[in-house]
Order: sequence, then C-alpha cells, then structure tokens
Amino acid sequence: MRLLDQDPIDPEIAATLDAIDGTLAGEPVDARYAELAEIALLLASDRPQLPAEFARSMDERLGRRFAPAPDSAVLVKAVRRGRLARRFWVRTGALAAGLALVVAIVVVAGGGGAGSSMSSSSSVPAVLSAPSTSRSAASSSATAGSIAAPTSSSGAAAGTPSRADKAAASSTAAPSASASGSSAPQVLQPPTTGRKVVQSAQLNLTAAASRIDAVAQEVYDVVGQVNGIVNNSSVTQGGANGYASFQLSVPSASLPQTMSRLSQLAYARVASRTDNTQDITNQYNATASALADARALRTSLLKQLANAATTEQVQSLTAQIHDAEASISSDEATLGRLNNQVNFSQINVQINAGTPPPPVAHKSGGFGIGRAAHDAGRVLTVAAGGALIAVAALTPVALVVTLVWWVGAAVGRRRREQALDSV
Amino acid sequence: MDHRLVRSVGVTETDTLDRTVSGRSWWERFEELYRSSRDDVYAYVVTLLRDPAAAEDVTALAFERAYRRRRTFDRRRGEERAWLFGIARNAALDELRRRRRTATLVTDPSEDVPDADQGDGAEVALRRTAVQAALAKLPAREREIIALKFHSGMSNAEVARVLGVSESNAGTLLYRTMEKLRKACNATA
Repeated sequence: MRLLDQDPIDPEIAATLDAIDGTLAGEPVDARYAELAEIALLLASDRPQLPAEFARSMDERLGRRFAPAPDSAVLVKAVRRGRLARRFWVRTGALAAGLALVVAIVVVAGGGGAGSSMSSSSSVPAVLSAPSTSRSAASSSATAGSIAAPTSSSGAAAGTPSRADKAAASSTAAPSASASGSSAPQVLQPPTTGRKVVQSAQLNLTAAASRIDAVAQEVYDVVGQVNGIVNNSSVTQGGANGYASFQLSVPSASLPQTMSRLSQLAYARVASRTDNTQDITNQYNATASALADARALRTSLLKQLANAATTEQVQSLTAQIHDAEASISSDEATLGRLNNQVNFSQINVQINAGTPPPPVAHKSGGFGIGRAAHDAGRVLTVAAGGALIAVAALTPVALVVTLVWWVGAAVGRRRREQALDSV
Repeated sequence: MDHRLVRSVGVTETDTLDRTVSGRSWWERFEELYRSSRDDVYAYVVTLLRDPAAAEDVTALAFERAYRRRRTFDRRRGEERAWLFGIARNAALDELRRRRRTATLVTDPSEDVPDADQGDGAEVALRRTAVQAALAKLPAREREIIALKFHSGMSNAEVARVLGVSESNAGTLLYRTMEKLRKACNATA
C-alpha cells in the first residue's frame, strides 16, 4: 500500500470530477466540461463486454464453487503456487517451533540439575545460611583418640576408606563423612568387608518449639523399630528454647536405615548430619593376638605347674598364671568392648527449636495430598519456566519471520507496481 | 452495473464473507458479489491487460482467490467490491509481470480497440475512434484508472481503495488522465 495522501483536492480538479460523476449519472453539466463529459460517456459506452461463452463458463465455476478447472493453466499454477507457499510457511513454522522446543528442552534440562539441587537445599534454608552446619573439610573423629580421622564429603566417602585401610599400617584411618543441608541425606555405607569398623553419627535436627516432644517421640519410635537402645536422653519442653538430645545405640546393620528414618521425621528438618567411621581392625587383631598369647602362656604355665617339684616353683608359676589370667580377662574385656562398638553404632541426636518445617509432612517418603500439591507446584513452575524459555526463543524467530514476510510482501507489491510501469 | 451492494453503516465488528449477515448466508452474499461484479472485473482486467484471453483467466482466478480468501475480507477496510477488485488487480499485475518475464506480446494492442461502429453518427464515430486510440496509447497505470472509473463504475473512493491511495490522490490521477485523453483526442482531431 502506498502512503495515503491527506492533502485536500484542488477545487478545479474537484469540480471536474464532480462534472464527470454528474455526466455518468445522467445529469447536465456546465458547458466548460462538455468535452470531458463527452469523453467520459464514450469511455463508459466502450466498456468491454464479457464474452457469452466465458460468462457461462464462469457461472459453471460458480456452480461448483470455483473448484480449479483442470484446463486452466493459470489456475493450476496459482493453486500450485498457493500450495507451495502454504507448505513453505507450514514447514517454516514447524521448524521454528521445533527449534524453540529443542532450545527450551536443552535449557530446562541444563537447569534441571540446578533445580533439583536447589530443591533439596531449599528444604533446609536455615542450614545453608548457618556457617556451623556447612560441610567441613577436615575434622578429627571424637572417638578416634590418637587416630587421625580425615573427614571427607559424602561424595568421596565411598572410595576413601578402602585406600585408607590399605595405608593404615601403624595408624588407623577412619574416614568420616559429614553431610548437611539436606532433608534426607544420602545414607553412607562404608565398605566393611573383613574389617572391624566402628560407626557413629551425629544428627542435628530443627523443629518448632511446640513440636519438640512430638519429634522426641518419633525418635523413640524409630529406635524401637530398629531394636536400638536409648542410652540417655534429655527433652526440655516449653518456651521458645525447646531442646532435646539423645544418645542412641543401634545395631550397626540398622544404622543406615535408622539415619534415613531420623532424617525424615515428620516435624523436623535436618540441620546437619555427620557420619563417622573408624577402622579398628589392627587394634582388634592386636588384642586378639595378645589374648591368644596370654591363653597359650597360661596353658603352658599350667602344664609347668603340674610338673613343678618345689614350693618355690609352684608359687612362681601360680603368680605367673595369675598374671596371665588377668591379662586374658583384660584382653577379653577389650575384645568384648570392641565387638560391642562394632556391632552397635552410636548416634547422637540433638533437636533444637528453630524455624518450623514446612506444613507438608513427609513421613518416611509417604505420598500425601500436601506432597502431591508440592510436586504439582514444582511441575507447574518448571512448565512455566519452559514455556517462558520457549517464548523467549520463539520471539526472535517470530520477529525474523515477520520481518521476512513484511519485506517479502513489500517487495512483491513493488514488483507488481513496477509491472504497471513497464507496459 | 445494475446491481450494487448496499453499503453498511456503523459496522463495528469484523464482518467476513464467510458469515451469515442479515439473514443472508455467506454463499448468498458471495454469489451476489459475483453477479454484481463479474462483468466489471472482466472489463477492468481486459482494459488493463489488453488481452481478452488472459483477462478471462485472470478474472476466473480473481474470483477463485476471492472465494478461497473470503475469511480474510474485513469490512472495516473497505467494501466487498473494492476488496474483490484488489484481488483482481494483484492477479492482473502478476500476469503483467509474467508476460514481462516471457517478453511476449500476446495480442496486438490495436486488436483490442472495440469496433467504433456502434450505430453512432459519423462525427460520434470519429470521436469514439479518437478516444479509443488515445486510451490505447495510455500507460497501463492510467489505463487502469480509466478502467476502474468508467468500465467498472467505481466511485473515486472505491478507485482509491483499489489502488491503495487517498481519495484526493485518486481524483487527481483521474483528472490528469482525463486531461491527457482530452488533449490526445484534440490532437487527433
């Protein structure tokens, strides 16, 4: 379309045009327009007439609602051009939509990891902001005594202990995993094949002050379910400073299960969690060896005692046997204590009053309405994000397509107008 | 020429040719448009192309396109006739472009000059011949406006719609073309 000209028409021109219109309408016109009026009448009377044959043909086409006649080359070409154009635009649109979809999927998939990471972190926002609960780079195990216990992150914990064991000739490497910032931390299971490993864990929970007793009861329930023992406990209820602590002993085989359950209590969220392991194989073997030596010594001394001939010999052997038995008793007690440490893991649970957990209860991974709503919200959020990205990716494509279409239409119009000038 | 669609006044909603309006189905409306415009479209196209055979094809193509694109008609942008003539114009210009590419003159321009003998007197016949000759010599752009005005019976506003210019611009173009014709006729005389 050419730009519209809003200039008022010249009065002389307007008068001439009125005269022409009047002439065509059969009205009399001023004598000064007689010549133009005559030309106008001659032009109107020279109107080309539609051939009767073509008129019939057109009526037939109208009757079949302008289905293209197979014998019309122009029509066939036009229809073919139209189909090609439609096919082009459909394919272009499909290609653009496909590209946008791929981009959206790539972006969403790329951000998906971050999204899930954020999700698990967001469940314990207090943990992320609390410096004391951040992952520790290295710490010493409280139960290791003189043994250095390198602490590894949860991701490296699986492979580190075996290497440490091999290197532990004179000292025992006790890898310790510290995990925090997750409502359901990954349960660590150190390799214990043929080794004597003492496991312990520290779990700090946060619960609403009014829920301390409920959480404490949940802890008791979990301990009962795994046939554990509450060595000691302290629950302080009331006010804003509720507090509870538990010293638990659970069968080592049930430790991962216990920690998993304790980490998913309904009314508490995990503030921090530390898993410690200590390899005591060398200590255990040394004690067992000492016990065997002491028993062998006692047996030998008893044989010697049976053959003793003098009172002095009897007294001396008796004293040595007494010492050997004392050593045996001590070693047996040590072995028993070590076995107990290996067979029962110590868990220290502390519950502090703090930011209440979200109303969505996630009891042991059960699926409820609240969790479904939460998941639905996440799905909708991700879907909205994907749609937003798709729109962002489609917008420039749409702009380019629109620009190309506009330029194409303008060029087409210009070429058509040029066709008029060339005739 | 006898049938003219009644102009709608104060139409606010989009009126396309595929809707039933005032109890008339879209097909009835389209048929009415066809009946009232078929001869005018042909007259316009044949004047523009100066090739009756091609004009028939283009006329048929214009109605076929109008039928297919009836949903694109928007009364707010003009009357149905102007819309139809716009389609016919594009089809005719495409035909002109195609001809320019092939560089073949299908018909001798002198052949499409109508027979001057229409039972007029000798003086009128001479005058008619002069007008026909002058019209044949006009460039296509000016022939087009003559065709729209005198062969298709359009108002200046409708001519402006079809050409995509303002009404005053169309009027000025028509005036200049008529003056050109008048001078050419006088020169012939």
